[in-house]
Amino acid sequence: MSEISLLPIIAILPFVGALMPGIVIRAGRNACAAFTAAPTLLALVMLGTLAPSVYDGTVYTTHFSWIPQLGLEASFFLDGLGLMFACMILGVGLLITLYARFYLSGDDPMGQFYTYLLLFQGAMLGITLSDNILLLLVFWELTSLSSFLLIGYWKHLPEGRQGARMALTVTGAGGLAMIGGMLILGDIVGSYNLTDILAAGDQIKASEWYLPALILILLGAFTKSAQFPFHFWLPHAMAAPTPVSAYLHSATMVKAGVFLMARMWPALAGTSEWFYIVATIGLITMVLGAVIALFKDDLKALLAFSTVSHLGLLTMLLGFGTKAAAVAAVFHILNHLTFKAALFMSAGIVDHEAKTRDIKQLGGLRKLMPITATIATITALSMAGIPLFNGFVSKEMMLEEATHTVWWENPWIVPALATLGAVFSVAYSLRFIFHTFDGPVRDDYPAKPHDPPFGMYASPAFLAIFVVILGLFPGIADGIVGMAASAVIGETVHPHLALWHGFKPALYMSIVAIVVGIVLLLLHRPLDAAWLAAPRPEAKRLFDDLIRGVVGLTRRVNDVLHNGALSRYLAIFCASTVAIGYLAYSGGGLLPATREMLPTPPLAIVAWALMVLATILVVVLHRTRFAALIAISVIGLVISIGFVYLSAPDLALTQISVETVTIMLLLLALHFLPKETPVESSIGKRRLDGLIAIGSGLGIGALAYAFMMRDFSSISGYHLANSYEGGGGTNVVNVILVDFRGYDTYGEIIVLGIAGLAIYALMETLLSGPAGARLRNSGYNNDRSHDRHPLMMVIAARLMLPIAGVVGIYIFLRGHNEPGGGFVAGLVISIALLIQYMASGFAWTTRRQRMEYHGLIGFGVVIAGLTGLGAILAGTPFLTSWFTYIHLPPIEEFEFATAALFDLGVFLCVLGAVMLMLYSLSRLARHSGETVNTEPMDYDPSKAPTFFEDGYRTEEEGR
Amino acid sequence: MIQDIIISVFIVLGGVFGLVGSFGLVKLQDAMQRLHAPTKATTLGLGGVLIGSMIYFALVDGHFSFHELLITLFLFITAPITAHFMAQTYLRMHRDEADLPPSGRPVGWSIYQDPPDFSADD
Repeated sequence: MSEISLLPIIAILPFVGALMPGIVIRAGRNACAAFTAAPTLLALVMLGTLAPSVYDGTVYTTHFSWIPQLGLEASFFLDGLGLMFACMILGVGLLITLYARFYLSGDDPMGQFYTYLLLFQGAMLGITLSDNILLLLVFWELTSLSSFLLIGYWKHLPEGRQGARMALTVTGAGGLAMIGGMLILGDIVGSYNLTDILAAGDQIKASEWYLPALILILLGAFTKSAQFPFHFWLPHAMAAPTPVSAYLHSATMVKAGVFLMARMWPALAGTSEWFYIVATIGLITMVLGAVIALFKDDLKALLAFSTVSHLGLLTMLLGFGTKAAAVAAVFHILNHLTFKAALFMSAGIVDHEAKTRDIKQLGGLRKLMPITATIATITALSMAGIPLFNGFVSKEMMLEEATHTVWWENPWIVPALATLGAVFSVAYSLRFIFHTFDGPVRDDYPAKPHDPPFGMYASPAFLAIFVVILGLFPGIADGIVGMAASAVIGETVHPHLALWHGFKPALYMSIVAIVVGIVLLLLHRPLDAAWLAAPRPEAKRLFDDLIRGVVGLTRRVNDVLHNGALSRYLAIFCASTVAIGYLAYSGGGLLPATREMLPTPPLAIVAWALMVLATILVVVLHRTRFAALIAISVIGLVISIGFVYLSAPDLALTQISVETVTIMLLLLALHFLPKETPVESSIGKRRLDGLIAIGSGLGIGALAYAFMMRDFSSISGYHLANSYEGGGGTNVVNVILVDFRGYDTYGEIIVLGIAGLAIYALMETLLSGPAGARLRNSGYNNDRSHDRHPLMMVIAARLMLPIAGVVGIYIFLRGHNEPGGGFVAGLVISIALLIQYMASGFAWTTRRQRMEYHGLIGFGVVIAGLTGLGAILAGTPFLTSWFTYIHLPPIEEFEFATAALFDLGVFLCVLGAVMLMLYSLSRLARHSGETVNTEPMDYDPSKAPTFFEDGYRTEEEGR
Repeated sequence: MIQDIIISVFIVLGGVFGLVGSFGLVKLQDAMQRLHAPTKATTLGLGGVLIGSMIYFALVDGHFSFHELLITLFLFITAPITAHFMAQTYLRMHRDEADLPPSGRPVGWSIYQDPPDFSADD
């Protein structure tokens, strides 16, 4: 093994390249295709430089630590198998890029297509190059996701969307199973690195977890490779544009499952479980796919089921578990790629030119589009396994292996079924040729067919040349097949591929297949009628029923748990928390109390009694909402006082600001709600709720009591000790917020910002819905004062604004060392502004405010984030704070900490969120009919003409 | 000793007025009357405590404390506004325009009538 850093670059190239097509499409379609081809070509060239030494047996590896705690490493390795697959993926990717350039019409967004294509290509490449199986899983899921985008590319077609969903569901579910299997595998071996796992084959097979791991991993591989009974998604994915089908179903997506089985071959294969699961499923899939393919009239559907059949063949070969079978599998992977990609592209050309791909509407195309017909005939003959084409060689190897296979002590069943599969394979391949291209020229094609431009048939023609060369001289593939097969098997093999194997059973089986296949084709008409008459399970309907059933089931469960009533969520949450707490208590018991009860001063008792009283009042008064709000504010005040009493000035300051803002906003919101809460629940339910409430209250009380009576160590000691040394501040609370737990705070301000934005967005929906209509008709003006903005309040608020502003800034600046900080400062300024808004009305005030509140939130998050990133530039982890002491001559030496900048972000975010909420409420008011004031106060004496004592007004005399 | 007595007197005086204010709140009949009672508590009651506190810091701690002045200032700002709003609310909810004497101006009481439009004169 040797280290090389080229591998990650190769793996990342398509992803980087995926950024280009979307931009370059503006420069035209040719430029777009060229920019898609460039990263592919580059990656191919890079691989090419490594190829000679890989050919000689070198295995390249690269290791980067990603999340070592999880065993996840960004490690790549390249051996023969990986090289062969990577070359296939990139090479065919290149051909598809060229083909798609001509296939897609002007209406299709080509930039999107190429972006998806490169994403998918990158994901596939990642699978083949991953050394870490967790990394492999990441790429595996990426292929599911990006193939979803590709299959559903024609968003306007319902079949496209449904096919994409089905593919994603099936392969995604398989991926989930595979995650489980891979984790078990990693657990058995003790390493998630493929190189370690492949070396530990015996240990894995001896483990009692071998079978579960095997089944789970195979589920992933089978769903991806469309093996029975998961084969149904593949034909439905044919709704995708043909380039996608050609790419996904010849060289890449479906081959990922085969690749995985080949990759895991040394670790998992060779046991009887492996043989009976993999070979049997493969055999069934091969025969079933071939039979169905014969009766499909849609060219692409025929090819799809043929793909299913060939994937079954590959799976079966890998399932045999012998070296010769593995060699045959590797060779057939290569052959299948060449002829199937070309066939898909030919079918696409026919579809593109004749505007139909229904075999029953086609025929006679040989004379109209001779080039396409030639390509399609060559490749289809290869698919049939006719001598002189490459499909024949590998199919003979498969039949040869089948004759050596004994299934459940029966030596006949596998060869017989394999021959049956081959028979149907010949039949559908010949049908593809003769029913499409042969026969008389018709005059009822939906469009006049003719050969496409060179660019469109270049790719399939290129592949067809390979088909012939490999068919005539299979020996030239000795090297590459040997290289890949050695990697599969884990020891060096030197295969000798040849056209002629002598008079062996396989030859006779081939002859039988061809002869019977021709007979079947001749009998196609009556057979087809019989097939259509016979009852067949419709996979899509079964799948849809299954999905509908699952959706119905989850809906039933959800309707019980998540019926939209907040009281139910709370009840479930509280009841289960109490239950868990009780369980823990009854299971673990309680250590004896280690602390003395502190003396209780009368003041504390009075405050406590006040709080209990207010709480009870909330419960009693909760139907009268304003009264309940007053009781709630009492609770908030007592809690603030409690913080002061317990020497937590920071918390007290925060609590009291939060209380003020909350009560103000709630008051405004209550204005638009009914003044009373109606009785909606039965007395029994209310009793139950009361019980749950009392239970959880007592539980929390008991927990708090138990904790306070015992000594326990917490992180507080560390915070206290390191606040000044590490964070540069003496206010531990603030240092915790902006430094020790800066990450939490960063998340919290984002959540706060989202909350503000969500309220704003919800208001939009609210106003356009039935609630908005109710508001408009609510008769807002009925009963209210005409003096909304009294002079006294306006003047006082104006006086207070600068004072409150100074207080806010002061609290912000001293935050690091004294009680205060960005959060409280934000709240204080919010309150000052809230008062201003309430005094002079929203419209007048907001006109004097230059900044959008959305912007404040955004700036806040950005400033906090950039401060955190600054730490990375300085070489320390995200959000590490840095501080220094600055001495500027006129003022005292003061401290500057980056934490203050972070705090500024918090400040802006809080301010923006609160003001945005106010703005939302104001919109509600205006919507309900409140008029907008243009003056700061309703009655401004300074603007009024002078009144004399008798009410006589001089200016009015003239009128 | 003397300073203790002086401080105590002010605090007790403040307490008494606080009690009187609370008692009045219970005793008095309707909201307009009740508006008077808490004013005793906020002005004289709190005032007594604040003066006591200032004397304490000045004589015992030996430095002058500004906090009390600030508190007084804020009380002077907020108390009339609160009272004003409460009175307005009461009038709006329980009284009619007809119950009030005429405003003595060309325009009526502000809570019942929209403000006059002066913009035409500007």
